[in-house]
Amino acid sequence: MSTPPHAPAPAQARAQARAAAQQADRADPGAGAAGADLSAPRGRPGATGAPVDARPGAPSRGLRFVHAQYALALVVAGLCLSPFALVFAISLGEVEAGAAWNWGVSAANYARVFVGLDWPESASFVYMRKLGWSLAYAALGAVIAVAFAFPFAWAMTRRSRRAQTVWLVFLLSSLSLSEVFVVMGWDVLLSNRSGLPMAFRETGLTDWLKAVGWFDVLREIGLATPRNVRFKPSVFATVLTLSYLVFPYAVILLYPALSRLDPAMMEAARTMGARPFTVIRTVALPACRLPIAGAALLLFVYLLGAYVAVTVFADPSRQTLTITIYESVRGATLNAPFGAAQAMVLLVTAVACLGASLALAKRAERRS
Amino acid sequence: MTTRRPRLILPSASAASAPASGPASGPISGLSRRSFLRNSAATAGAVAAASALGAPALAQARSLRIGSYGGYFENSFKEFVYPEFTAATGIEIESVTQPNSSDWLVTMQNAASSGAVPADLSLYARDTMIRAARIGGLLAPMDPAAMPNAEGLESRFLYTGDAGLMGVGAMAWFTSMVINPNVVEAPASWAEFWDVETYESSLGLNKLYNSYLLDIAAATFFDGAETMGSKDGIMACMEKIAELKPCVGLWWSAESQMEQAMKNEDVIGGTYYHDVAGLMASEGFPIASIFPREGNPQDYGSWCLTEGSEKSAEAAEFINFASLPSTQALMSRKIGTAPLLPQSGTDLTDAEFASVSGTPAITPAYEAYLDEAEFIKEEWEKMLAA
Repeated sequence: MSTPPHAPAPAQARAQARAAAQQADRADPGAGAAGADLSAPRGRPGATGAPVDARPGAPSRGLRFVHAQYALALVVAGLCLSPFALVFAISLGEVEAGAAWNWGVSAANYARVFVGLDWPESASFVYMRKLGWSLAYAALGAVIAVAFAFPFAWAMTRRSRRAQTVWLVFLLSSLSLSEVFVVMGWDVLLSNRSGLPMAFRETGLTDWLKAVGWFDVLREIGLATPRNVRFKPSVFATVLTLSYLVFPYAVILLYPALSRLDPAMMEAARTMGARPFTVIRTVALPACRLPIAGAALLLFVYLLGAYVAVTVFADPSRQTLTITIYESVRGATLNAPFGAAQAMVLLVTAVACLGASLALAKRAERRS
Repeated sequence: MTTRRPRLILPSASAASAPASGPASGPISGLSRRSFLRNSAATAGAVAAASALGAPALAQARSLRIGSYGGYFENSFKEFVYPEFTAATGIEIESVTQPNSSDWLVTMQNAASSGAVPADLSLYARDTMIRAARIGGLLAPMDPAAMPNAEGLESRFLYTGDAGLMGVGAMAWFTSMVINPNVVEAPASWAEFWDVETYESSLGLNKLYNSYLLDIAAATFFDGAETMGSKDGIMACMEKIAELKPCVGLWWSAESQMEQAMKNEDVIGGTYYHDVAGLMASEGFPIASIFPREGNPQDYGSWCLTEGSEKSAEAAEFINFASLPSTQALMSRKIGTAPLLPQSGTDLTDAEFASVSGTPAITPAYEAYLDEAEFIKEEWEKMLAA
């Protein structure tokens, strides 16, 4: 692209505008920043010594644009960062027993998240375990969703364009189902009188399990009552629902990469004698490893905040930090500082996980 | 839900708050007690009541804004209680939806800091009320002399703080033992729930630390409220609950979870609200509410006056009206709440009384739940996680 000789290149123009703005600020320190910035350069177009734009008003427009950019950046930073700053400030607060919480600068809430209330007399890792479950559910849910979404999206891209569009519309529309609806649906599907346990009982599967002795094994791992199998609350139901929740996202995230995959590569592999599975394993998967890792990471972070599925399907001994955050802030103790401290720990953990994954990905890239 | 109550032009003092009536008509709070089950019954009752009531006198000069739990609760108050009060006193009521939880305290704190009064009178659970009184600046003391009928309530339903009378009981409810009568015999004692042979993975219990399971354990195996007075006693009750864990199939946090679990027979017993269990049973679902020999925990809500309200006289008149035995009986019949005075003080029949109340009542250790809140909550979490 050629630049007209009379107009500065975009980068030049920005530098010019920035320099002009600084000059203006220096020239009129008493004036309000905005007023000085906008008026000063117009009178002294060549003052900076930089190439001069011949068009009257051009530097001013550029200047306005730069300042608008700064202002926008400030607004966005403010909007993004102020909630975090607020949560962090609250997390340093202290709660009065049986009354309200007050602002403070105490790290006690963080200590409690890590080693419990009774520290240093005794240490309890109850909240760390909850954090562990948060990570476990999110990781399992994301990996399972991506594992199922990959072959699904693969198969989708092999269909006609029309069929692909229909599937995409269907998947997109399924995103309109909220977490609450999905959880309600699975709740019914796993219920004793209307769901899977009923099917087990009616088809005689329950009796058969009892006859062969496997029923007692199910009872021991909490998947049966003395009367019938039961699937909730359980880790199985929780992970199932979480995976189901993010499955459409996984397909939509993988679809572009898979549809862009050059069919010639696969055909070449096939003509050289590779079986279809080998083609997927050695050609398609490596070619898509970045989108796959990216999708899994995104869904992992998304699932860290899952609330409804966990509260309905997970036993309290296997519930996540999200639940206790809510209970601390809105529950009977009204201990917002402790809830905020847990939220900060969850946030930092999520960021650390993302950072570690990116570092690993970079290392893998370098190796290959 | 529509009523035939005419919209009145309110005097300037309350005109500013008129828009607040907006949210009052919708079934807003999905989590509130009783809001989920009886909409159809409420609608039918509302239509009947609306046609039975005459139009109250027009051109009211006095008004009062009252908060109540959204959904069925609030609708019932609007249909059955407020019109009677307006007819008796000429004071117009404006209903304000409030949550049945500590959330309301957060709202009140925010309102107080901005100088607003979301409602003149509102409902507080006992622990929230004590908490609000301790925080200060949220509740105004009330004049007992202006509400003589409140003396007729059992004295434990009146709460007097340092500044004076802070709360007067509005209505009570029981969290009772429920079972599926098709599957198990009615237990005579709570202790039977600890029988793993019968109840393995089959009970639905409330997951929250302050859902009074500790009080049930204290009443069943120890010395009741006295045991809850010390950390050792609380821990003893906690260990008893830990022994119950193999019998628990569902730790519910939302009322609807337990409702569904009983209907689907995912669980065959547990703890649930006495009056809602009765309604479910009357609809043919396999559930029976039992009063075992130790009794069931009884909780109650209080009317509290908001600091800064200029309607203390009207509020006192309303509390006086709500404390009447006839109003208590009306609420028992129409809303399903337990009266705050003995059955003999009301005209409730035995069947009517049994559908909302029973004996004995276990009084929760409210002070322990407040003063040792963090300790109990964390030990509870540890017990559940173990």
